[in-house]
Amino acid sequence: MTTTTLERPPSTEVGSSAAQYTQSSSLDSRLMTDTTDELAARRALFQEQALPFMDQLYGAAMRMTKNPADAADLVQETFVKAFAAFGQFEQGTNLKAWLYRILTNTFINVYRKKQRDPYQGALDDLEDWQLGSAESATSSSSRSAEAEAIDRMPASAVKDALQSIPEDFRLAVYFADVEGFSYQEIADIMKTPVGTVMSRLHRGRRLLRELLADYARERGMTAQNSGPRAATTRSTT
Amino acid sequence: MTDCGCDKAKAELEEFLHNELDAQQCQDIRDHMAHCDDCSAEHLVGLTLTTKVKEACQEKAPDELKQLIIGAIDRLDART
Repeated sequence: MTTTTLERPPSTEVGSSAAQYTQSSSLDSRLMTDTTDELAARRALFQEQALPFMDQLYGAAMRMTKNPADAADLVQETFVKAFAAFGQFEQGTNLKAWLYRILTNTFINVYRKKQRDPYQGALDDLEDWQLGSAESATSSSSRSAEAEAIDRMPASAVKDALQSIPEDFRLAVYFADVEGFSYQEIADIMKTPVGTVMSRLHRGRRLLRELLADYARERGMTAQNSGPRAATTRSTT
Repeated sequence: MTDCGCDKAKAELEEFLHNELDAQQCQDIRDHMAHCDDCSAEHLVGLTLTTKVKEACQEKAPDELKQLIIGAIDRLDART
């Protein structure tokens, strides 16, 4: 039985400059004072350092907006804002976390307003018992079967499940499990206490697990009727 | 050997999985899992879930988006 944890590169601190990226209006006045050489150097540095994160940011944007057109718009807006603020980025601090912070801010300010998610926010206040019990009464052998079933799950089923859980839970899961950000980094990106990150992550992963167990059961992927159940959570999205 | 017991292990498995525990806490959980099939299996489910989510979420940005962004940055620069 494996006891490995996930690989995560040693994290560098998110620079304080990550908190304040300027809007393009203040960019204009700042750019006027820079020489052409400095601008060219900054652009080259930005292209070299930031653009390689495009695929990752697009992946996150897809999970946020749920469609390719909005995801592309969101990523483009993120890079334009990031470039405008790149002069304030502290070299040596965590650029990826800085970019994700801009992406998430932009998403929340622009796209979430369009989507309107009335359950969001209220969900954090729910007690665990209201979301259903985490503990399943299943044996270790059925847990092994559950792991096997999840392992055989097609990527489309995993994506569908992820898309159907509440947004804040989905983002916490994405940041931790896909991007490997630390809880503190996720707290900075989502502007929420670490305790809230842990709760969102825990609940999001539990919902995901239930949805995948349902999927496996419906398709007869598991022999037994295993997997944690929490019928009360089904109507939250 | 500092087996932490099932309750503590179960409560901390997710943090263990996400590399959020210190070395001693990790060791306690490993020691416990070495003797507990239930917690080992629970950890395997968690690990598998993470691996699958990570695999499923790999995306490639469309080429035209890359060109759009490079163009947008150039235009931003050209305004001076």
